[in-house]
Amino acid sequence: MIAAESISALKTYFREDQISKNEVSSPFGNSGEMIILPETENEIAAALKHADLNGLTINIMGGGTKRGFGGLNEKADLLLSLEKYTGIVEHTPGDMTVTVRSGIRFKDLQDYLAKHNQKISLDPFWPQNATIGGIIAANESGPKRLGYGSARDAVIGLRTVYPDGKIIRSGGRVVKNVAGYDMNKLFIGSMGTLGVISEITLKLRPIPKCESLVLVSFPAGNLEDIKAFAVKVLDSMIEPVSLELLNPSLSDRLAGINSYTIAMSFEDVESSVRYQETFVGNMLPKDAKLSISTKEKADLFWERFYRHIPNGADKDLPIQTEASMKIGTVNLDAVRVLKDTDLLQDKFNVKIESHGGLGHGLSQVTIRGAEPDVADAAVHVRETAERAGGYAVAKHLPFELRKKVDVWGNKPSHFFLLQGIKTKVDPNKTLSPNRFIGGI
Amino acid sequence: MRTKDRVKSQDQHILNLAEIVGGSRSILYQKEDLLAYDCDGFTIHKHLPKAVVFPKNTQEVAEIVKYCSENNLPFLARGAGTGLSGGAIPLNGEIIISMVRMKKLISVDLENRRAVVEPGFVNLKLTNSISDKGYYYAPDPSSQYCCTIGGNVAENAGGAHCLKYGVTTNHILGLEVVMPNGEIVEIGKDGIPDAPGYDLLGLITGSEGTLGIVTKITVRVLKNPEGKQTVLAYFDRVEDGSQAVSDIISAGIVPAALEMMDKTAIEGVEAAAFPVGHPKDIEAVLLIEVDGIAAGIGEQIDQILEVCRKRNVREVRAAGSEEERARWWANRKTGFGAMGAISPDYLVQDGVIPRSKLPEVLSRISQISGESGLRIANIFHAGDGNLHPLVLFDARIPGESEKALEAGSQCLKVCADVGGTITGEHGVGIEKREEMRFVFTEEEIAAQTEIREVFNPHNLLNAGKLFPSPSRCAEVKKEMKAQAIS
Repeated sequence: MIAAESISALKTYFREDQISKNEVSSPFGNSGEMIILPETENEIAAALKHADLNGLTINIMGGGTKRGFGGLNEKADLLLSLEKYTGIVEHTPGDMTVTVRSGIRFKDLQDYLAKHNQKISLDPFWPQNATIGGIIAANESGPKRLGYGSARDAVIGLRTVYPDGKIIRSGGRVVKNVAGYDMNKLFIGSMGTLGVISEITLKLRPIPKCESLVLVSFPAGNLEDIKAFAVKVLDSMIEPVSLELLNPSLSDRLAGINSYTIAMSFEDVESSVRYQETFVGNMLPKDAKLSISTKEKADLFWERFYRHIPNGADKDLPIQTEASMKIGTVNLDAVRVLKDTDLLQDKFNVKIESHGGLGHGLSQVTIRGAEPDVADAAVHVRETAERAGGYAVAKHLPFELRKKVDVWGNKPSHFFLLQGIKTKVDPNKTLSPNRFIGGI
Repeated sequence: MRTKDRVKSQDQHILNLAEIVGGSRSILYQKEDLLAYDCDGFTIHKHLPKAVVFPKNTQEVAEIVKYCSENNLPFLARGAGTGLSGGAIPLNGEIIISMVRMKKLISVDLENRRAVVEPGFVNLKLTNSISDKGYYYAPDPSSQYCCTIGGNVAENAGGAHCLKYGVTTNHILGLEVVMPNGEIVEIGKDGIPDAPGYDLLGLITGSEGTLGIVTKITVRVLKNPEGKQTVLAYFDRVEDGSQAVSDIISAGIVPAALEMMDKTAIEGVEAAAFPVGHPKDIEAVLLIEVDGIAAGIGEQIDQILEVCRKRNVREVRAAGSEEERARWWANRKTGFGAMGAISPDYLVQDGVIPRSKLPEVLSRISQISGESGLRIANIFHAGDGNLHPLVLFDARIPGESEKALEAGSQCLKVCADVGGTITGEHGVGIEKREEMRFVFTEEEIAAQTEIREVFNPHNLLNAGKLFPSPSRCAEVKKEMKAQAIS
């Protein structure tokens, strides 16, 4: 419990409507006794400084989509919600850069940029809910990472509020910058354990003149056929923005095709897109089926795709327990990961929807079923990943299950460096305690 | 390399280090041998190392580092020594650990688009080793024919084609690093992305050899684009040239490269080894390259030609052959050295600005040139706003070197003032330590040195680089620069 003096001290920095007792509890944890809604960077700094000086802990929340991602404390003392800290600070279309406050929702930002025929090259889940700050802090990416790169490629500058309230700028507003250490990288994917990212500068790309989605499905489900096709694509001169393998149940949900399917997305000038569609048609393996979608149909497909994983912003738990695992392997081993994890469905009586990037090596496996079964299956998903030489991280688990299923897996041998960084930046463990690997 | 087998030194450290690397063929310690290692591509500041050792493998590197650390000997790693900011200069009489004998291409896995190299492996050799299969390594600094990938990682090297493909950090998937205490650490195993934990891969890349010594590198390799076309455009006014740059980007085209040279730079490249016949009286030349699916290239080239014409281009044309394209690039890529043809000495700067400020910055650089009485040539990666002002001077004229340094620093101040930065790809090294204050506060610099302490707590590894000393006043700084020149 927070002492009454502490609450009244905090109230000197914030209006009545910005600070309140948090009456709602989330089944995903990562909550706080009191909820604070800062509207300025100074207010964020004031809250952090106060907490840091008075031994209080803080959880940070954007859109709440990742509340199920890490964290062994149901509640910190304070929940710092950035939902009111939003808006665009600066957009210079000629420079193709934008600076925004971290609480802006991804879709709102993309909609604004679209008016200038520009976009951020990232394709996160739940874009309507997720904030850019949360996406960067969790290093979220989607299938189009193959062509787009990830947050570490898109972010060129940050302002981060340190636990003691100082504001540290890293990077800048230019696309090329090697002055000092590349500190941006430290905060991307740090899960709010080092500071509160307050402003983000991103490089932009033009919206492609033409887009299309090509689905290649493999009714026979032969792993070798799928891999051989992917190798052929990767070795050809075509440039798909995504080369994402969907397992039959996800493919069924998104496209009505109940077999392994590769979703290839093309973005370029029209002549190039049409040429690549034809090229794929001509290299189609025997027995594989091809379907080419127009932009409208493709948009619908992707919209459904980005909503298919559990959303930590939900107020209640669904009837079936849900878990999502992020898996990293060598690129083409994603085929094996999907195939092997599919076998867990019968073994544990769970339903699995999964997809894996054959050009970037990240897969995601979503498990639904009874709680103990989901927990067992999640553990086996990790074993499968490790057998393939990779790792698995639980991206979404209800709070109770996080006590049973290790979120981050084993500590790396260089954990002392991670710990050392945390201790330098947040010595009092004020921010997001126990949210990250090894109890950081 | 010395060929005698016995190490003739009274210094026990030299003898012990020689033992680690296997004898006299793998260590230099006599003054005449060490002279070649007293600076890198930044030649204004020099200092002799205590010794240079040539390890053959990670284990030897780890043992050398451990020895240095236990005996409180400062040390640093060096690749080909092409760095332009002095990052490999042994300021404190370091033991230089030269990585040039660790130059193997360890493995290539084209299906998964990755390759593993030792740090001494030369940048261009990687592309040459896989080009017959249709693949290449994207980062292409101008020195790529001789610089090492280990050095590229330390400096987060860029190049002409990073506008579309990114700089070194965007292509590094994994590293094996010897920590300053001798421990060997593997980051980004097998090149698998997003390993759980803070992104040390991103932090170490570009840390200018101050956080650890990289001994193995997993890089991303790319498939050659199917088509490629290069356009050359001459402008009578610099403003028109810069405006054309912005217009091309605004038209939704992402060129693979977009380079610009001004009149003085053109005079230099035309007087040097690779002239291509640029007219002498134009104010700016643009070199624009588009690559990708062949079917889509023509459409983009037409658009570029149209944009240039709208901006009063005097002449614009696409390369007629691969040979012509190669000549244009040789002319551009040897641009720095070409200044030697029109000036006894030159100093390269490396500022970055938001693209839209190009005309404003160019006019302020021209002012600096007027005030200092020194000619300044401008070669830049215009697409990403990375300027290389080349200050031309004659070191034999007393006071002119100081003037050149001052003019260079002023150019960086201009870049910082318009919202840019002091280095885009050459690094801070020794050269721009003080200029770090143009872009960072004392607190922000301290935030960075705190991170260094985690990796390099005793600051024995490459000390005195990257960061300004905590309270050096302007006077001392001037004196230091004066000393550096003399």
